[in-house]
Amino acid sequence: MSNRRSFLTGAGVSMLGATLVSRAGAAGLPEAPVQSSSATAPPLAPPNGRPYNPVVTLNGWSLPWRMKDGVKEFHLVAEPVVRELAPGMKANLWGYNGQSPGPTIEVVEGDRVRIFVTNKLPEHTSIHWHGQILPSGMDGVTGLNQPGIAPGKTFVYEFVARHAGTFMYHPHADEMNQMAMGMMGFWVTHPKDPRKHAVDRDYVLLLSSYDIEPGSYTPRTNTMLDFNLWTFNSRVFPGIDPMVARLNEKVRIRVGNLTMTNHPIHIHGHRFEVAGTDGGWVPPSARWPEVTTDVAVGQMRAIEFVADNPGDWAFHCHKSHHTMNAMGHEVPNLIGVDHRGVAQKINKLVPGYMVMGDKGGSMGDMEMELPANTLPMMTGRGPFGNLEMGGMFTVFKVRADQKRGDYRDPGWYRNPPGTVASEWTGELPAPHSAPDAAPGKAPKGEAMNARKPGSHRH
Amino acid sequence: MAAPRLCAAMAAAFALAGCASITPDRGLEAASQLAHERTGVDARLLRGEDELRALDAHIDALLREPLGMDAAVRIALLRHPGLQATYWELGIAQSDLVQASRLPNPSLGFSRLHNAHYTEIERSLSFDLAGLLTLPLRQRMEARRYEQAKLTAAAAMERHALETRRAWVEAVAARQAVAYARQVAEAHEAAAELTGRMAQAGNASQLDLARERAAYAEAGADVLRAQRAADGARETLTRQLGLWGKQAGYTLPERLPDLPAAPAEPEQIERLALERRFDVRAAREQAAATAADLGLTRSTRFVNVLELGVANKSETGEPRAKGYEVGLELPLFDWGGARVAKAEAVYMQALNRVAETAITARSEAREHYLGYRASYDIAQRYRDEIIPQRKKIADETLLRYNGMLASTFELLADAREQVGAVNGYLDALKDFWLAHAALEGALGGRVGHAPAHTNKEHQQ
Ligand SMILES: [Cu+2]
Repeated sequence: MSNRRSFLTGAGVSMLGATLVSRAGAAGLPEAPVQSSSATAPPLAPPNGRPYNPVVTLNGWSLPWRMKDGVKEFHLVAEPVVRELAPGMKANLWGYNGQSPGPTIEVVEGDRVRIFVTNKLPEHTSIHWHGQILPSGMDGVTGLNQPGIAPGKTFVYEFVARHAGTFMYHPHADEMNQMAMGMMGFWVTHPKDPRKHAVDRDYVLLLSSYDIEPGSYTPRTNTMLDFNLWTFNSRVFPGIDPMVARLNEKVRIRVGNLTMTNHPIHIHGHRFEVAGTDGGWVPPSARWPEVTTDVAVGQMRAIEFVADNPGDWAFHCHKSHHTMNAMGHEVPNLIGVDHRGVAQKINKLVPGYMVMGDKGGSMGDMEMELPANTLPMMTGRGPFGNLEMGGMFTVFKVRADQKRGDYRDPGWYRNPPGTVASEWTGELPAPHSAPDAAPGKAPKGEAMNARKPGSHRH
Repeated sequence: MAAPRLCAAMAAAFALAGCASITPDRGLEAASQLAHERTGVDARLLRGEDELRALDAHIDALLREPLGMDAAVRIALLRHPGLQATYWELGIAQSDLVQASRLPNPSLGFSRLHNAHYTEIERSLSFDLAGLLTLPLRQRMEARRYEQAKLTAAAAMERHALETRRAWVEAVAARQAVAYARQVAEAHEAAAELTGRMAQAGNASQLDLARERAAYAEAGADVLRAQRAADGARETLTRQLGLWGKQAGYTLPERLPDLPAAPAEPEQIERLALERRFDVRAAREQAAATAADLGLTRSTRFVNVLELGVANKSETGEPRAKGYEVGLELPLFDWGGARVAKAEAVYMQALNRVAETAITARSEAREHYLGYRASYDIAQRYRDEIIPQRKKIADETLLRYNGMLASTFELLADAREQVGAVNGYLDALKDFWLAHAALEGALGGRVGHAPAHTNKEHQQ
């Protein structure tokens, strides 16, 4: 602890100091800082080496390094962690240096990088540097490029970050379990010339998904597709910090997808261009405007735009189940079902039973007791009420008076008078309903008769 | 001279006759006292309309409340005609004893014989000398028969009390089973109705609806089945009580008594059984009587029947069971000559019968005590673990419903499973009370409990 080095000054961020792996290796190993908070850490300005414009990892942090003989040395420790997915819910995950996802590694094009990886997991692991062009023996696929890093062992990877761009790191050993347990991190290689691709705010986030049974803490790693928690950097709304920008700042958001499905990432109030992919920067002539970009499995996308529209803007995956927290996938649809009489009967058998879902899934402001360590399916207070959101959702806040380099939440947007949708108080036309849509009645329809071809005789 | 001897015999007979007389209770009180500690009830002999009316008033008062287990035993012992018949059997034995104790009446003889030649008139005053001489023996035999009748009556009361307790437990449990079958049916009814509404709104298929309705109909059949069983159990109890007409319309409590806070732990159950069981007592008295009848008075030592058993055990190399202070001692005689060989055989036969009865009694005491403890443990497992865990499951399921993580149908399915668990507890509770009654039968006495702590959860 005497070796403590303070490099983060932001609120809510604490450094627990260096964790020395072993006395024998202590002399040779760079320290492995540990992060205990899941708040967004301010950008890490490079104290040495080549200059660059640092990124901000939403609800995460960047890993400090040391320079040794011109080589940037990092130290990642793979270990079990407890990650707060949102206030009120914690998960037993596996991650790096105290958090899942692990810290973002930021280097500059042409840097020689040496990364020490210590395995504190109960099984062997490895790290694959997703998207890096490096020697085969540094690619991190267990069995193919290297033996697995046994528990308690430290491996060292060394290569030159050849191309600027957006990358990830994740294990290539027992991936099914290790990725499902949250082992992943972001990697940004900045251009040699900091003026190139320069933006005012550069956010990075990884998409990951977990299946944590309500009332439990550890993800079910055998789940293939039916996840119940969809996260930005292993956080779910309302636990995801807002992204903020000063009016007319240039903003970049880098998204990497390590889930098992694609995510159409969508922003409101702005148009953007996909400026980068896993393969590098897209030439400006090849970019096209979007408000949604699909980030397929294992892909990275960097979108860029000018935050020219003040206000509070939704930023989310457009799959509506992905903006929900844990929900019952087998719950039948009760919309339009008349509960009169039945509800009392059920209430007699199940004291505390309340009719829900007959008017839709919206719970309004009902506060119901939930199983332990479980978040409401949709929640989040906004200036006009409940946002009814969860999962991969956050708010992008553009303000004229947001200071440069200030990442603090400016609060809810104050809409100029006359710019908020409001109730119509004028004359109303006669109500008009769709035919055959009387509530509580099935549409009239003929039963279909399938005729079997030919005849069977027994 | 015969006269002084005759006089002495007559004097003795008169003396004996003086101590036997017909009592108003016809000897029932003694039998009733025997049975009292096992049944808690003093049986009465019903003579005449007035007594019957008084008893009926007493019973009517008892029936104003739901009929408890002890009240059921009380009514059965007081009112059951079969038992009353047994009680009168006692009266018959007592009369026989009294009769046997009385001197035979002297007979006055008068004969007049005549033919053409003469007339002979003979007057005689005769005593049944043989009768007079055997009077003490007959009296002893009748006294023994009377004692046996007392034991028989007491045993009948005990058996009847046991059967009544059993019938009562079965009847109340069957009634509760109906209530729980109804709850299951209600859960199915709610599910079927909700599915019906869903089908109406277009949210469920006819297949789903048919499945839910079939399940509801089957649950309805289960209610009828439970009702039939409950009717049968109630009639068994009614017969056991000996009630009919208006009195047969008694009400039963909603629930069986709660499981006692702790199981009874009577010490030395084998000794209790040997001391108190009527069959052991009867066998012992039978052996004693045999000895007396054989006129064997010279006993040399006493043989402890149960020590015999232990000795046999130790021969097989088995570890000696926990020692019981068993005092069932019988005299063994010094068999001198061949002429008493038969008497020896008869006596040894009786002795072995006692041993057999004692071994059976001891084994039954152990068996029923183990059964009683096992059924207590099972019911306790339900009360303290299964039911609370089921309740926890229900609470957790409701929390999942709150979070839209589970559906109404899961709540209803869980409600049914909860009912199933409560039903399992009831079954266990029923088994416990039956085992309790059986244990009392095997020990020949009441087995008390510390008062049960009432568990509100099970009263639903
Ligand atoms: Cu998505």
